[in-house]
Amino acid sequence: MAAFTLTVNGQSHRVEASPEMPLLWVLRDRLGLTGTKFGCGQGLCGACTVHLGDAPVRSCKTRLGDVGSRHITTIEGLDPHGAHPLQKAWVELDVAQCGYCQTGQIMTAAALLAKNPHPSDADIDHALGRNACRCGTYLRIREAVHAAAGQRREVIP
Amino acid sequence: MTDRRDFLKIAGVAGAGLVLGLRLDAKTRPGAAAAPEFAPNAFLAVRPDGTVRITVPKTEMGQGVRTALPLVVAEEMDLDWAKVEVINANPGPDFKSMQTGGSTSVSSTWGTLRKAGATAREMLKAAAAARWNVDLKSCRTEKGFVLGPGNQKLGYGALVEAAAKLPVPKDPSLKSPRDYRLLGKRTPRFDGPDIVTGKAIFGLDVRRPGQRFAAVLRSTVCTGRPMAWDAGKALEVPGVVDVVKVPTGIAVIATNTWAALKGRERLAADTTWELGSAQDFNSADLETFMREALTGPGEEARKQGDAEKALVAAAKVLEAEYSFPYQAHATVEPMNATVQIRPEGAEMWTGSQSPNKAQATAAAALGLKPEQVKVNVALIGGGFGRRLGTDFSTEAAQVAKAAGGGPIQVVWDREDDFRHDLHHPATLHRLRAGLDASGALTAWAHRIAGPSILHSWVGQKTPSQVLAEANGALDIPYAIPAIRVDYAEVAAPTPLGWWRGIEIVPNVFARECFFDEVAHAVGKDPLQLRLDLLGNQGLVKFGRDEADIRRLKKVLQVAAEKAGWGRKLPAGRGLGLACHAYDGRTYAAEVAEVSVEKGQLRIHKVTCAVDCGFVVNPAGLEAQVEGGIAFGLSALFTQITWEKGHTVQTGYQEFPLLRLGDMPEVETHVVQSAEAPSGIGEPPVPLAIPAVLNAVFAATGKRIRKVPVDLSAI
Ligand code: FES
Ligand code: FES
Repeated sequence: MAAFTLTVNGQSHRVEASPEMPLLWVLRDRLGLTGTKFGCGQGLCGACTVHLGDAPVRSCKTRLGDVGSRHITTIEGLDPHGAHPLQKAWVELDVAQCGYCQTGQIMTAAALLAKNPHPSDADIDHALGRNACRCGTYLRIREAVHAAAGQRREVIP
Repeated sequence: MTDRRDFLKIAGVAGAGLVLGLRLDAKTRPGAAAAPEFAPNAFLAVRPDGTVRITVPKTEMGQGVRTALPLVVAEEMDLDWAKVEVINANPGPDFKSMQTGGSTSVSSTWGTLRKAGATAREMLKAAAAARWNVDLKSCRTEKGFVLGPGNQKLGYGALVEAAAKLPVPKDPSLKSPRDYRLLGKRTPRFDGPDIVTGKAIFGLDVRRPGQRFAAVLRSTVCTGRPMAWDAGKALEVPGVVDVVKVPTGIAVIATNTWAALKGRERLAADTTWELGSAQDFNSADLETFMREALTGPGEEARKQGDAEKALVAAAKVLEAEYSFPYQAHATVEPMNATVQIRPEGAEMWTGSQSPNKAQATAAAALGLKPEQVKVNVALIGGGFGRRLGTDFSTEAAQVAKAAGGGPIQVVWDREDDFRHDLHHPATLHRLRAGLDASGALTAWAHRIAGPSILHSWVGQKTPSQVLAEANGALDIPYAIPAIRVDYAEVAAPTPLGWWRGIEIVPNVFARECFFDEVAHAVGKDPLQLRLDLLGNQGLVKFGRDEADIRRLKKVLQVAAEKAGWGRKLPAGRGLGLACHAYDGRTYAAEVAEVSVEKGQLRIHKVTCAVDCGFVVNPAGLEAQVEGGIAFGLSALFTQITWEKGHTVQTGYQEFPLLRLGDMPEVETHVVQSAEAPSGIGEPPVPLAIPAVLNAVFAATGKRIRKVPVDLSAI
C-alpha cells in the first residue's frame, strides 16, 4: 500500500492502494467513476480507455504506480454535459446499441481528433481498430467521428 | 421455427397462458408520498406537471426497446416525446414474463402497449370534455394536450385527477397508422445522452452503500468442484475481507474488484479439484461422434414425399458435409449481479434477459418467496441470449447469503465469461440433393448432428427438441418434391444456450451454401434457381408456423436488384446471396460482395432487404441490421474448442471479434408492409455467413464448408 495523488478530470484525489492496482479499478471502485468500463482486463477491447495527459491508454493495463503526475481524463470529464463534438455526433447519429463499449470508443476517438482534427477513414480505422463492439456499431462510429470533425453529412438520411 | 414458443415458455418461468404476462388491468404502484398520478395501467403514469413515466416490460440490451416500446405508448397517447421518462419494469404480479429474446420485444407487446396508450388518451379526452361540458367527439389530442371547441386547450397534467376517477374503457379506438406522428419515423435512442456521458448504469456500474466485490473461483471444467483449499494467502491480499464456499466454487470477497481478483489468483494456487464427468470432453471426440451420427438413426423434423427413394431414383446425387463450431456470446460487459439481503427479503440489480426467472431462482437459492426478491433490471452490456441464463444472478445470491447478506457485486472476468458461457453448440450437417436427368432438383435431405440446446436448458429430452434443433433447416422454403430434414442428438456435458440467431445460424449456413452448390452444379444462376423454386408458392406451413413465400421472394428480388446482382465484376470479386423466412415472421435476404486476394478475404458490402411488418423505429431497424450482420460476420472466424473439459479460448485474443476495419458497408432496404411488426434483432444474423461464403465461391471457385473459415484453403 502506498499513497498517491491523482488528478482526475481536473480534481485532485488522494488514493491509498497498491501501486500494482490497475487504474481501471481505482477509477471504478475507489472514485466511483463507472463510465470507464471493464471489458476484458487484458488490454484487448478498449472499453476501459481513458486519457493520460493527451494519450489514450487502457486503464486496465495501466498500473496506479505508473500514472505519476499525468492528468487523467475519463468520459465523465470529457464534457460532463455531453457537449463535446463527439458526444453530440454520437447522439445525433444514434451510434450506441447496448452502449457498453461506447465510452471507450469516444475516449479513443477524442484522443485521435485532438491530434488529427480531420482524420481519413484509414486514420479512424487505425486509431479505433482495436476497440471491440460486439453490437456491431462500427459504421456509425466511423461516421460520427467524421461528423464531429465537421466532415461529411451530419445525419444518416 | 416452432421452437420459439416452447423456447419462450421454457426459458421463462411463467407466461405460457398470458400474452407474455402483460396485464392491462394492473396499476402502477404509487411510490411513497407520491403526488397524484393518472396511471390507468402498469405501463404509464401521467404526473400533474405533464411529464409521463412509461414503464418498459422488456430488457434493453442495445436493441432499442427503451425507445421503441415507449414510442408505441406515446403514439397512441399523443404525447410530447420530450416529456417522456422511461423506467424499467420490475418482475412481479404486473410483469409476469419479461423474458427478452427471440426478436419478439415489439411483436409481443405491440397490441398491449397500443391499447395501454389508447386507454389513457381516451380517458384524458373524456376528462377534458367533462370539464368543458362539450361533446367528446368535438375533442382531440395532440402532443400532450386535449384540444376542444373554441380553441380550448388543456395539458394532460391538468387532467390527472379527473381522468383517474373515470372508468377504464374496455375497447379504446386505436389510431390509424396514417395519423402516426412518432411511429415509423426515426427516433434516436432514449439512452443516447446518458451513454455518451458515462452516466448510463449497467449491471457492473451498480454501487450500493457498503458494497463489496466478489470473484468466484470455479473449476475450469464445468463439472468440477473444489475439494480442498487454503484461504490463507488470499486473505493476506489487502482489501480481501472474506473467503466463502458457494455451490459453484469459492468466493473471494473484497473492498474492490481488483483485490477480489488478486485474492482469487492466490486461492487458485492453493485449491485442489474434483473435476467430474466432463474432464474428458474434447472437441475432436465430439466431432467423431457427430460424424457417426450423420449416418445413424435420426429424428424426423420434416418429411415431404420420400426423399430417400427419390435420392435412389435420382440421375445424380450431390452430397456435402458442413461444419459449425461451438460459439461464445462474448458480450463486452462480463456477467455480473449485485445482491443485498435484508431481514424482510432481498434485492438484486442485474442485467437479465429473464428477470422473472432471475427472481425465482434467486428466491429459491435464498429460501425466500419470489415476491420477497426485488429484481432491478440494469442496462445490459450485450445480451445475445447469454443473459437469458440465470446462473450468474443465482450465484450472486448464493455469495451474498454465504457472506452475511451483502450488498455484494459478483464480477466475472473475461476468462470466466468465456469458460462458463452457456455456449452455442457445434453441429455437423450432411446434405444430399437428388437431380433428375434434366438437372431438376427432385430430393433434398439435411441431417443435423450435434448437442441439443433445448435438452441442456430443460435438463431432459423434450418432444419438441427436434423442431428446435432443426429450425432453419426444416423450413427450407424451396419447392422440392421430396424433402427430409432430421436431427440426431449427440451428448455433450457442457451447459448450452441460445445465441443471437439461435440454431438458425448453423442450419441456414449449411442450407443456403449447399443450395448454392446445387445451382452451380446444374449450371443455374443461384438467384434464378431460388426464384424458380420459391415459385408461385403462397402460404406454406412448416411445423406449427406458416410462412408467406411471396414476401420472401420479394425481399430476395429487392436485395439482388439493389446489390446489382448479375453485373460484371473484376477477377477475384464475387457476389453471394442467401435468404430466409425467419420463424415465418420476418423475411430477409442478403447479398455479400467480397474479394479474395493473396489469401486475404475482404467483405466490401452487404446489401440486406427485410420485411418485418410495420417498422416502429426505422433508425432502430437499421442499427439492428448492421449489428446483426456484424455478429454473423464475426462468427466466420471464431470458435470455442474443448480440451479435457475446458475451453481452449479464454479471451478475445483467441476469439477475434470483428473490428472496425473489417466492417463492410451495409445497405438496408425495407420492404414496406402493412403487417404487424415481427422482429429484427436476429433475422439478419444467419444470412451473413452463407452470403459471404457463396460470394467467396463466386470469386474463387473454392467452396468453404467449415466455420471458422480457414483462409489458407483459398
Ligand atoms: S478492459 Fe481494458 S482493454 Fe478491455
Ligand atoms: S454498443 Fe454494445 S458493445 Fe458496442
